[in-house]
Amino acid sequence: MATDQLIRQLKKLREVEPSKNWVVFSKQRIFAGEPETEKRSFTSIFPFFQYKLALAPIISVFVVIGLFGFAQQTRPGDFLFSVKKMTESVQVGLSSPTEKSATSLKLANKRLEELGRIAEANQTQNLNVAVKEFQTNVEQAAKSLAGLEADGSDSTSLKEIMAETQKLTENKERIEEVLGAKIGDTEGLSNALTQLEKQTAAYLIADLEKRTLSETDGLLLGQAKDDFNSGNYATSLEKIWLLSNK
Amino acid sequence: MSNLRKEYSDIYDKYIKKIYRFVFLKVKSQEIAQDLSSEVFVRGWQAFKEQGKKIENIQAFLYQIARNLLADHYRQTAKVRFVSADYTTVVDPSQTIEQKALIGSDLERVKAALANINETYREVIVWYYLEELKVPEIAKLTGKSEPAVRVVIHRALEALRGELGKV
Repeated sequence: MATDQLIRQLKKLREVEPSKNWVVFSKQRIFAGEPETEKRSFTSIFPFFQYKLALAPIISVFVVIGLFGFAQQTRPGDFLFSVKKMTESVQVGLSSPTEKSATSLKLANKRLEELGRIAEANQTQNLNVAVKEFQTNVEQAAKSLAGLEADGSDSTSLKEIMAETQKLTENKERIEEVLGAKIGDTEGLSNALTQLEKQTAAYLIADLEKRTLSETDGLLLGQAKDDFNSGNYATSLEKIWLLSNK
Repeated sequence: MSNLRKEYSDIYDKYIKKIYRFVFLKVKSQEIAQDLSSEVFVRGWQAFKEQGKKIENIQAFLYQIARNLLADHYRQTAKVRFVSADYTTVVDPSQTIEQKALIGSDLERVKAALANINETYREVIVWYYLEELKVPEIAKLTGKSEPAVRVVIHRALEALRGELGKV
């Protein structure tokens, strides 16, 4: 037999094959008694998390957004209140000088509302913290108003400052009713509130002086100035509100 | 474990026919070939679970298990000679009638001749011509140098041709 022919016949022996059934059965026998899979991993149960590396930044963003969102519902004394304060600081920092005063007053009002909720919930342990936070915001608002120069052109900010000051007075009265005590009892807070009234009145008077007023309004402004000069800042502010509501 | 199992399952699919053929051409019945081939993979799996990636050449590893099992089998049956063509056929009984008709008649003589050459020649012929292993692979399996393997292949073919002349 020629070599080529012999090799061809040898290669034909490849056609010898086991039966398919036996191949399957034999394989099953090998793995019989072996656990189908090892302890299932977290990612096999939740294949979604197999992409954890790619999802990590997205999840982080959602967590941060959720954290900041949740923090907005907190009150002074709560665990995440510092996060809320941080976002508010950024908010104030990004405002223009005029807007900064209005924003600071808004924040003071917010603190006062939180103080009211704490008082209503009878969370006495958080009351002192809340009063202190309110005082800090009042001081900040007074400080930003003191540094503000009235030019008589920005009526929006003027109205906003007036509205927030009015709201602050009303809120304070309402909460004092709930508490059954005056909020400005402490020297620090009392001074801060007086300063706020003084700076607000000073700013608003300076602003109104640069505007064209009718004779009656001019007279009212004169009375407001007299009150201001006598140290009756609250009375002065009331007259200014009358002017602005006309 | 599940990864190892999947890996070994693929190894099984890849080598089962080769191992079966290797064993079948050395024993006298399909049943024995099946039992021994199955045992090759059972032992292979036990070792694979323990050693895993440490097994450098899984093909050589499986063939070595098969050779050891065949040696044990020969010892037990006290028949270390290759199965005679007188009482077995080259065609796997599990094949279809058409398959049997196709390869049966021509190959009986080849198998009979293979039965009468020495074991080393037989193994080398199966690996080189049937399974198409490369010379370096056969060298690893047999522990011989590559030139020595080439010489053995040449001599094995001549020995087979000589036997065919007798059959």
